[in-house]
Amino acid sequence: MAVQEIRIGGFGIVALAVAIGLTRADDFKLEPVQVGEPQRIEVFPPVVNLAGIREQMQLVVTGFYADGSVQDLTRAAEFSSTNAEVFTLDGSVAHPKADGSADLKVSVGGQESLISVNVANQGTPQNVSFEYGTLAALSKQGCNAGACHGSPSGKGGFRLSLRAFDPELDKLTLIHEDFGRRTNSLEPAESLLLLKPLMKVPHGGGLKMRTNDAAYEVIRDWIAEGCNLDPPEQARCVKLQVYPPSGRLLKRPAHTQQLAVLAHYSDGSVRDVTELAVYSSSDEAVASITEGGLVVGKDRGEAAVIVRYMEFIESSFVTFIRDIEGFAWNNPPTNNYIDEAVDAKLQQLKFLPSSVCTDEEFIRRVYLDVIGILPTVEEVQTFLADESSDKRAKQIDQLLERPEFAKFWTLKWGDLLRLTSKQVGADGVYKYHRWVERAIAANMPYDQFANELLTARGSTHQNPPANFYRTATDTNDCVETISQVFLGARLQCAKCHNHPFERWTQDNYYGMAAFFNRVQRKKTPKPDETFIWVSSEGEVTQPRTGKQMKPWLPGDGDVENSEVDDRRGIFAEWLTRPDNPFFAKIEANRIWSHLLGRGIVDPPDDFRDSNPPSNAALLESLSADFVKSGFDRKHVIRTILNSRTYQSSFEPNDFNKDDTKYFSHYQPRLLSAEQLLDAICHVTAVPEKFGSLPPTTLATQLPAPDLVKHEFLKIFGQPERQTVCQCERSSESNLGMAIQFFNGPLIYNKLRDGNNRFRQLLDQQKQDQEIITELHLAAVNRPPTEKELAATMNHISSKDEQIAQHNTETDAKVAAMNKAIADMRLTFEVKLFDAKLQAIPESLRADVKTAVAMEEGKRNEVQKYLVAKLGASLSVSTDEVTNALDEAAKKMVADSTTQIAELEKQKQAPGSRRIEALEDVCWALLNTNEFLFQH
Amino acid sequence: MNRTTSLLSVALTLAVGHSAIADEPVSFRKDLAPILLDQCLACHGPKKAEGGLRVDSFERVTKEGDSGSPGFVAGDLELSEAFRRMASDDADERMPAEADALPAEQLGLFKRWIEEGAKFDGEDPAADLITIVPAPTHPEPPAAYRYAIPVAAVVFSHDGNELIVGGYHELTVWNPADGTLIRRIKNVGQRTRALSLSPDGTLLAVGCGAPGRLGEARVFDVAKGEVVNVLGTTSDEVLDVAFSPQGDRLAVGAADGAIRVFEMPSGKEQLSITSHSDWVMALAWNADGTKLASGSRDKTAKVFDAKTGELLVTYSGHGEAVKGVAFHPENNDVFSAGTDKKIHRWQIADAKKIADVSFGGEVFKLPLSGEYFFASSADKTVRQFEAKTQKQLHSFAGHQDWALSVAYHAATKRVASGGFDGNVRIWNAEDGSEVASLFAAPGYETAAK
Repeated sequence: MAVQEIRIGGFGIVALAVAIGLTRADDFKLEPVQVGEPQRIEVFPPVVNLAGIREQMQLVVTGFYADGSVQDLTRAAEFSSTNAEVFTLDGSVAHPKADGSADLKVSVGGQESLISVNVANQGTPQNVSFEYGTLAALSKQGCNAGACHGSPSGKGGFRLSLRAFDPELDKLTLIHEDFGRRTNSLEPAESLLLLKPLMKVPHGGGLKMRTNDAAYEVIRDWIAEGCNLDPPEQARCVKLQVYPPSGRLLKRPAHTQQLAVLAHYSDGSVRDVTELAVYSSSDEAVASITEGGLVVGKDRGEAAVIVRYMEFIESSFVTFIRDIEGFAWNNPPTNNYIDEAVDAKLQQLKFLPSSVCTDEEFIRRVYLDVIGILPTVEEVQTFLADESSDKRAKQIDQLLERPEFAKFWTLKWGDLLRLTSKQVGADGVYKYHRWVERAIAANMPYDQFANELLTARGSTHQNPPANFYRTATDTNDCVETISQVFLGARLQCAKCHNHPFERWTQDNYYGMAAFFNRVQRKKTPKPDETFIWVSSEGEVTQPRTGKQMKPWLPGDGDVENSEVDDRRGIFAEWLTRPDNPFFAKIEANRIWSHLLGRGIVDPPDDFRDSNPPSNAALLESLSADFVKSGFDRKHVIRTILNSRTYQSSFEPNDFNKDDTKYFSHYQPRLLSAEQLLDAICHVTAVPEKFGSLPPTTLATQLPAPDLVKHEFLKIFGQPERQTVCQCERSSESNLGMAIQFFNGPLIYNKLRDGNNRFRQLLDQQKQDQEIITELHLAAVNRPPTEKELAATMNHISSKDEQIAQHNTETDAKVAAMNKAIADMRLTFEVKLFDAKLQAIPESLRADVKTAVAMEEGKRNEVQKYLVAKLGASLSVSTDEVTNALDEAAKKMVADSTTQIAELEKQKQAPGSRRIEALEDVCWALLNTNEFLFQH
Repeated sequence: MNRTTSLLSVALTLAVGHSAIADEPVSFRKDLAPILLDQCLACHGPKKAEGGLRVDSFERVTKEGDSGSPGFVAGDLELSEAFRRMASDDADERMPAEADALPAEQLGLFKRWIEEGAKFDGEDPAADLITIVPAPTHPEPPAAYRYAIPVAAVVFSHDGNELIVGGYHELTVWNPADGTLIRRIKNVGQRTRALSLSPDGTLLAVGCGAPGRLGEARVFDVAKGEVVNVLGTTSDEVLDVAFSPQGDRLAVGAADGAIRVFEMPSGKEQLSITSHSDWVMALAWNADGTKLASGSRDKTAKVFDAKTGELLVTYSGHGEAVKGVAFHPENNDVFSAGTDKKIHRWQIADAKKIADVSFGGEVFKLPLSGEYFFASSADKTVRQFEAKTQKQLHSFAGHQDWALSVAYHAATKRVASGGFDGNVRIWNAEDGSEVASLFAAPGYETAAK
């Protein structure tokens, strides 16, 4: 069985993961471009305008082929200028020379294209922009990254704002701070700001820049011009455009794509910022991007290329495929649209889906996923015996109606809603839990569910969803909770600075806050009750700019006319709109991740451009279906469960064993803490008691982790529900887990329990084979294989052989001890005899002794006479011997006798170790991966 | 601008010329140490010790790095790993890494030195290289400034007839009555951060240096405009210098966190106080020269026994960098100021704050003169206070940019201040009127026009 994939959650750390230092083209081995015979070529941009001395333009040439394929020919194309006085070319980049117009000729693969280049303003000075030049250049080199000078306290006394989100601060730091020591306009190349990253003077961060980097020239020129700030009327960047847009598909040997990145400004001008944009890849195993914007594919798969320029972030998806030897698409059957979407991606990337799982695997998998627990032995047997073709669908329907379904899925929502008695009170936790459970049992539409939570008010006792605002204790908590749970966005970063990798800005954070800052929380005289109400006033101030924020909706922008009774209503209305880009997708993806063990976007609560879905079409159709169904969660669950994708085997084949994200096979995963505990209880038939909760309560049905502290659950990653992050539920394996299963008290006690499953079966006079079969059906939901059965039976019978051997060994030990006693007594007997012999006349002694020692039949007449006459007086009785023993001998006899009695006691009757053997069998079953993993 | 001559390369050229022409043995101190500092220190120094090798002292240069071979071995070119790497033909192996090879001439010096026995011609083999390299002759200042530079230091001559201002590789000397240029004093470090005139007015200490590269306290004969001593050389800027009121000592504070006290005029080092953990940005003596106060980027102000260097008190009340210090005239309290935009008055006895004065921006040095002290601030004002009561007497407004520095001449009652934009203003302290305004950058205004 595959090893569990270990994922590490958390944020903040991400800052460190960003590569420090630039990626350069010569870091990679590039395949030569196989130009072939393109039918036509296309040059981007179609017209080049260079309206300033600092402008330039990255050109991108695309070839279109007869078979419908497309490839980037920029590396192979020849570029020439029809008038080098107007503009020149440096590789695929056009540079202005003098005002005027000329043509740019591109030729490659027998095709030619002519585009016009217009050059203007070459006589006008153009200063480097502080923000769009210098700060962008510092971002490009990573100077203001979170791990470097962008950290809150800076590095080495030099602090920049993270990713240049605060130009005011950077202006101060770069120009004014420490008497202007960082810049030197008289000798720009002598500026500390340049000498440090060049390592011309010691720099803790090491070599971060070379003199031929674009950033070097920008910063040096800015200093040479006198470190000018941008004039207030300067045009603002309003949009970033990345060419090619998402969707490019490259097939090896084609594996590179030159990007062109254009910044659009408020005055309508457009500038090429390819050199200063910052690139990152959503999957470095699939593709990397060089500092010059060349995407280099490394393996098949999809990657989002994230392009950042100041606060703008755009992404472009690129797919890389290659021929796989021996691969042939086998048109696997599809059960519904899910399989179609999954197959489309698999076929494109050349992965073959695994075959459908067995009934035994299915029944186990679907029980664990839908109701959290294992099927009973009877349920397994009934299902396996059922021969109808739609038995899986029927089983799914049946499970979705079981009360355990709502209880188990309430556990999942309990994690998100931070349901703990500490946070919502001892009474509140039951009421809140019951509300969620009822909502799920009644299949409350998800929009209504969200709406009831988001707009809740009143007493937390009377209206349990009001607890939502009790767990979210203040406005910031509301923003962060709601964005993570309903928008799938981790917004914490934006509280203090623009999100370093995402389009979320600090303004957005406080704009969202404006919906929730009027929520008031008041304790009531009743214990444990909080009253949630909404004040009619209260505004949010952005702490950095001091600006009062209007309520702001992602995608919609500022909300005008927000003077309503309760602004939360506006938010909830927007959120639950069918066309909301986040709402349905987040929940559909969350459901998917619960069922498949991995989100289409993963982690499932971290939606961002830099973390794209592994199958966007799949997520789109799933979420569209969810919306169309009226936000029917059961419908989505049912649809997924019925798909072939869900029901595929965990066993990979030769053509999908490398796949971990496109769902070509089922991903085994460790059972959750609660599932595992319930499963152990189920196998041993020894239930666990949880404090004063009803005895039938299962671990998967606990309202809150802090009602009853359970050591085993903690070790296996039960979250404390301190955060709304799904990552709090740890899926990492640790030594504590291994110890629990090796000989932890929980399992030991259940194996020893006098009333456990196999003891009950023994009491019912079941045969070993029946007992073994039932244990297998309970633990791994299938009968044992012949091999397993034989091995297990052998283990039990080996106990009898062990007993026989043990008894024989014991007998031998006893015999040896008895002999030792006898030998010792004999020495005393001889002594007594010799003493008695002294009474006989000395002349006879030797003869008498000989006669007595002689066997009776062999004695001659004289000897017979001597024995008859003197034998009695010479005989030594047992008692005489016993009395004659000295202290040492007595002790030896006493000790040996005790030991013999002990040894006799240790002798075992045949069959007496069967129960021990069954404990072994059950222990071994609980320690199999097959039991421990959902598979 | 292509004239990117670093001061070290200038020093180098001079030194190399010397040994190359005269047929003398190669000097480690004069010929090789400057090359090591300029070419090797960035990667093989205290911040980054690539390959386990450091070149910041003779002792370290000759020690073995991770390779197990010493950098230099007397008489053995093969075993001298540093030389072998510098002379290597293999670009992947050659030092300096990812840069052009050393010029043959420099390589030749190393070769000859090794052959001559790799001798150390300094006093202390453990001393930082920067401290044993002969003091450089600094480049010429710009004939005409294209840009004015921040004026971080101003001081009046003893008679008040000259105002001396920190420039670029120079000090410019102006007539405070009309703002005209009198003379230019050359051979100064790239930037000047502090000026202190000896009580008799004959000597001028200049705290100067090149950011991240060099710091020095250069002592000039004021009348002649010539260097008479170079003290306290370090690898980053010297940020403050202060003559004791008796004129017998000079305190130097630098970016290495150390305060060094020199006997004057001999220049013999008396004390090196390393109590601060970050730049020492301000220094002040008490009236009888028994105590020394300091302000540091480590967010503290401290007072030391000026004789023993013993730390008497640490004041942490600013919570931000401390950039100015001054003793209260009665010597029981200290004024300190800095990034927290406040002047604090606190007691030496228990480090308790007893008063503060707020500004609209950070506050720089706090020169004390008789019964007054002065402050310059990022809020663009220069202010005069009664030292006994910290009562504000004047606020001189007019700077268009941060006011970085201020000086006072008691006899003529003139206040001079230097701004970040290079503007120097001279005021009449009696009525607060402005006397003159100039840009301490010869040729700048003409160039600007």
